[in-house]
Amino acid sequence: MSLELVVFAIASGLAIVSALAMVVVKTPVKSVISLVLTFFALAVLSILLSAPFIAALQVIVYAGAILVLFLFVVMLLNLTQEAEGHDERPIQKLLGLVTVVALGGLLLGVTLKAGAPPVPAAGGPIGNVTDEIPILGRLLFSDHLLAFEALSVLLLLAAVGALILSKRRFD
Amino acid sequence: MEGAAMNAVVPMTVPLNAYLAVGTILFVIGLAGALLKRNTLSIFLSIELMMNAVNLLVLAYARMRGDATGQMVVFFVIAIAAAEAAVGLAIFVALFRTRRTIDVDRLSSLKW
Repeated sequence: MSLELVVFAIASGLAIVSALAMVVVKTPVKSVISLVLTFFALAVLSILLSAPFIAALQVIVYAGAILVLFLFVVMLLNLTQEAEGHDERPIQKLLGLVTVVALGGLLLGVTLKAGAPPVPAAGGPIGNVTDEIPILGRLLFSDHLLAFEALSVLLLLAAVGALILSKRRFD
Repeated sequence: MEGAAMNAVVPMTVPLNAYLAVGTILFVIGLAGALLKRNTLSIFLSIELMMNAVNLLVLAYARMRGDATGQMVVFFVIAIAAAEAAVGLAIFVALFRTRRTIDVDRLSSLKW
């Protein structure tokens, strides 16, 4: 068994277990912390898929910025315990479970059956870790330049929007 | 995977299907959280998990095809997720300030 296989097994096991913990755990703070663990495991999987740049982004942006923002809001709203006491409509839980099982089985079946596309890979730069980031940079500033500029405007708008939303009084 | 090795793509040690399975399982866990949780914040967290599961699938296919565009897609998804999280959390803060709750069962004025 190769080292890559062992790392894959550990990282994917950790990702799945901590994702389950995120759903099962009642306290929002613990939910967020277990999702951080999941994202770290996903970053490891990204490195295995020879995407070290995406792995770094995953850790810096997702685990570092977005989930810290979540944690900050959980603290701000003082959500110590999820209000689960009033379970007056168990039918919703049942329907939700049925949907999850049905859709989950369908998705798993379809993705695994689809598997690798029949046309083999054209052969490209990815897979050779050393010169991957220059390729991404060149792609970003040539083919995807318009999307990149639009994205910067979107981020600015989101920042301004968040500021306005949290400052305004709704009476 | 062996056929891809001829085209200067390093063959994958871990089969593609293993990544697809992990990604799909994570997506389904996120779906379960989004459908079964009552707290709006937990639902939002579950949606983030679903997005990351799909990111993993895109990365796996990008690796298999040896195509950097897949990583570009994931880059854009992560950036948009950051914008979405900022606006979403601001909405939750505004909601909590006016309604004193973010429980989905109590926030039903848009239901009918």
